[in-house]
Amino acid sequence: MEQNAIYELLAGVLGDGALGYNEHALEPWADVAPARIAEACRFLRDDPRLGFDQLMCLSGLDWDGFDETGKGKSTAILGYTDDGKPETSDRVGTGELGVAYHLYSHALRHKFTLRVRVPRDAATVPTVGGVWSTAQWHEREAWDLLGITFAGHPDLRRMLLDDEWVGHPLRKDYVMPDTWSGVPLQGQPYCANPFPVETGGPDQPAGDQPAEG
Amino acid sequence: MASESTRVNVPGAVSGNGWHDQDHVPGIKSELLELNMGPQHPATHGVLRLLLQTDGEIVYKVTPVLGYLHRCAEKIAEGVNYKQWVVYTDRFDYLAPMCCNHAYVTAVEKLMGQEVPERAEHIRVAVAELSRIASHLIALATFGLDMGAWTPLLYCFREREEILNLLERISGGRMLYNYMIPGGVRYDVPNDNWVADVLDFVDLMEHNKLPEYNTLLTYNKIFIERTADVGVIDAATALDYGCTGPVLRGSGVDFDCRRDDPYSVYHKFDWQVQVGRGEMGTLGDCWDRYIVRAREIEQSCRLIRQALQQLPEGSYQALALKAIVKAPAGAAYTRVESAKGELGHYIISDGGQTAFRNKVRSPSFCNLQVVEKVGVGQMVSDLVALVGSLDIVLGEIDR
Repeated sequence: MEQNAIYELLAGVLGDGALGYNEHALEPWADVAPARIAEACRFLRDDPRLGFDQLMCLSGLDWDGFDETGKGKSTAILGYTDDGKPETSDRVGTGELGVAYHLYSHALRHKFTLRVRVPRDAATVPTVGGVWSTAQWHEREAWDLLGITFAGHPDLRRMLLDDEWVGHPLRKDYVMPDTWSGVPLQGQPYCANPFPVETGGPDQPAGDQPAEG
Repeated sequence: MASESTRVNVPGAVSGNGWHDQDHVPGIKSELLELNMGPQHPATHGVLRLLLQTDGEIVYKVTPVLGYLHRCAEKIAEGVNYKQWVVYTDRFDYLAPMCCNHAYVTAVEKLMGQEVPERAEHIRVAVAELSRIASHLIALATFGLDMGAWTPLLYCFREREEILNLLERISGGRMLYNYMIPGGVRYDVPNDNWVADVLDFVDLMEHNKLPEYNTLLTYNKIFIERTADVGVIDAATALDYGCTGPVLRGSGVDFDCRRDDPYSVYHKFDWQVQVGRGEMGTLGDCWDRYIVRAREIEQSCRLIRQALQQLPEGSYQALALKAIVKAPAGAAYTRVESAKGELGHYIISDGGQTAFRNKVRSPSFCNLQVVEKVGVGQMVSDLVALVGSLDIVLGEIDR
């Protein structure tokens, strides 16, 4: 079925919960009100004309600092100063979070994409784990890395990071901690050798010096 | 206090909390034992930890604990440009890095609208299928090893070594290749008779080696007893849990991205999608997943042969390729059939040199989740068979 026909069916069910359809994009997607997403997914799976039996991918997104003009000038943490403080622009820390759902129907061989956007300080989306079980792990990952809460999720724990980790690394305003469990996380944003070897120390006895002349 | 017949309870129906207080055999107090399988355990195929709750030999709950290899590659993708990130995709499925390269460059090319020369696509198909054979060989070998069959491991690694030699000659790397770039491949086919050597190898593989594995392992009675009717994943469960690749096809669902969501030049070739048929037991058991992989090796051989015999002349890179790749603003989800299943990249571009967001949907991540459901009620030793038959690789689960 054509993409816009799918959207029309969806909009007929959701009413004002369907916020719009981005027809001219490379891959069209439908914007859905966050509170209605589980209802939308259940309809897309159960309606025999649509039959979306597979959730291909569920992605957590952070739109913070996104350059809407398409010039590649998105702002995020650009780097770190010498004393380890992040260099950010003013816009970082205010944008919205979002979730994208990519669906596929094995029987009818068509795809569809849904997106929701939620405010940063109240990032809660209803879970779709009851519609497709595979969403449970994707949602745990999105919570872990982006801090999006999925209401109704039975087991919303850290997935890839340690249970005691602070913060959500894929957020654009994330600042890496100085240490973790006593291990220094130097050389931000990517690690340098945390245990530098001092030259001339006991590890390098004088006999190892290259002969001169 | 439960009734006297609790011993034959359906395990999935038992709530975890009430279990401790029940006497399963009258007069004998039993309780659940918490057991760590991994992270350092040969049967978990990497640093995976399975937190088990067992009652004797029966597993009542499986909780996979992930993240021991996590390096937040998706965050790194937001800091390096499109070409530079190819090298990180090698590290996802390090047993089939060419497939991962292929997935990523296909996604970037779709976003850029980049045309790829026919010759480059043929080379890509050939090396990706070689990589798939190498990955499936490891899958067969380690699955046999999990079941107690040592010898096939040596045979499979012998052939994998040949593939690594061939891939080294074309890319320079033995394990991590960094071979494809958006718009083509990094190097052309070498002049030292490489194509003929690959064709010799696939002939040998198809006609000599595969029958050897079948004699050694596939139709070995002990192996069949150990894997048939074990760890059955029915088609509805596989779809619900987002299983893809040989796991999904082992459950009888006839789907392969290479045929049904075509990319690259796979539509030009004559080959067949292999599907589990429940020959040795129930449809979707461990043996079905094994045999799908074994038969896919044969199909990969056919694909390589056609791709190289029809190798067109021309450039191996797009001629207009710039040193710095920029993608116009937009978003695209692209999936390809990796050795483990559907490997997807969701790339959002803001028009610059780096991805604004690059979400990776890795097949092993989704395939592993089914253990939480299917592992319940199995013997611990059958759980080993189940995890082995899923053929996970922790590099792409933890990313």
